[in-house]
Amino acid sequence: MAITYQGVKTLTAQLYDWSLRRIPEDTKEGLRRARQTETHPGAQRVLEIMLGSALRAEQTDRFVCSDSGVPVFQVGIGTNAKWEGDIKAAIVDGFDELVETIKPPLLKHVTNPLTNERGYKGKDMPLVSWDMISGADYLEFACQPKALGSGRWAAAETFSFPSLADIEAYVMKVVMQAGSQHCPPVIIGVGIGGSFDVAAKIASKATYRPIGSTNPEPVLAAMEERLLRAVNATGFGPMGTGGDTTALAVHVDYASGHGYTPVAVCFNCWINRRTRARLHADGSVERME
Amino acid sequence: MTLTEYRRVTMPLSREDARSLRAGDMVLLDGEIVITAGLPTHHRILACMEKGEAPPIDLQGGSLLHLGSYSRDAEDGGLEILYMNPTTSTRFNPLMPRLIRHYGLTSVGGKGGLDSACREAMQDVGCVYFSFLGGGAPLHSAAIKAVKQVAWNDLVAHYRLVRVAVEGLGPVTVGIDAHGNSLFENIAADATARMPAILEQLARDRAGA
Repeated sequence: MAITYQGVKTLTAQLYDWSLRRIPEDTKEGLRRARQTETHPGAQRVLEIMLGSALRAEQTDRFVCSDSGVPVFQVGIGTNAKWEGDIKAAIVDGFDELVETIKPPLLKHVTNPLTNERGYKGKDMPLVSWDMISGADYLEFACQPKALGSGRWAAAETFSFPSLADIEAYVMKVVMQAGSQHCPPVIIGVGIGGSFDVAAKIASKATYRPIGSTNPEPVLAAMEERLLRAVNATGFGPMGTGGDTTALAVHVDYASGHGYTPVAVCFNCWINRRTRARLHADGSVERME
Repeated sequence: MTLTEYRRVTMPLSREDARSLRAGDMVLLDGEIVITAGLPTHHRILACMEKGEAPPIDLQGGSLLHLGSYSRDAEDGGLEILYMNPTTSTRFNPLMPRLIRHYGLTSVGGKGGLDSACREAMQDVGCVYFSFLGGGAPLHSAAIKAVKQVAWNDLVAHYRLVRVAVEGLGPVTVGIDAHGNSLFENIAADATARMPAILEQLARDRAGA
């Protein structure tokens, strides 16, 4: 048996659809914890309203945000997985079909960067990155719609032999640039090293990690803890109108590289849209989040 | 805090109501608002202004909120909005002072705030900025009572200029008041002032790690 074109087409469209209507459990838990620890009265109320919006979206099967972003997928290909048909085309075709059928309809967010014209289709859309998973016999799809609200504030800079102090100061610089504008409390992804593209990919992948999970690298676990405290000491707060909760998590990862070290920083807004599932050869879907 | 405890204000705001609000206040909105999430829409309004023409929806003394919506023709021949949510206001910074002054707007809004030039224009005319919850589409959409008017239908849905009747929209935070106070500028200034101490704390944490 093999994984089919139709299976990939259906599942990737569903993952995008699901991600728009429900915020992940770890994120709701993060918001609830923040509500308990937040000392700023206005921020406490904004956090309550956020949780209320998330609940209402679930109960009424509504989009949490009217900006459904553009579909972004990370695909993990099991090295023992077998498939038939053009699974790359399946992701494109799945999105095209979803645009025709989804209720309520999506707004036109796919933007040609050369003309700023917006529609439902465009070059290289959906945005997909591909990785291999050693020994696995399945395909794993993660979906994270990205929109201007938080996507706009991602940044990268390349250093030569930076110290940890240099790296952390840069993260704080990017946090200051975003300020009140990225729908905080955010999830911050930081990618260090590799090459320019690898650092950005690492940062983006780091945002998928569940809130509250501990980085297996002790150096990074300590960095994440102190950066989270530092970001929350800025005072931007929920929706940037003041408070102790500017980020729910800072997730850092790295790759070895040359002495030139790109540092990439990206953000997910508080709704932290994210879904993930595995597709097995027998056609079964293992929904993970 | 339950919804009944929030102050309710009628939209479009009277000049007096606008001046009665203070940065940090949280309120619910009732009445009529004018919304758009489009940069091209702002350019068209400015073009109307320059030509001395009236925009298709009257803005004089009214609101212009950075909210995007999906509107379509309803089966009963009217219009319906399927969902509505704020967009980032700061990208309209260069355009807003002229619009605020020319139309004497009493409220603007969206998310993320506006800059100091906008804050000055708002103080001059008596206008406030409402910060809406991003990711609040289920709540904001439920407050819609009727779509009164949709203009510039050639634009994508969220760029159209739309007049909407709402009831209990919010709670929204007064991010910038009509007296020159901006939460956004104050918070950014505080964060900037605090940054040397934040970086020193990071250094101490690294040394202790």
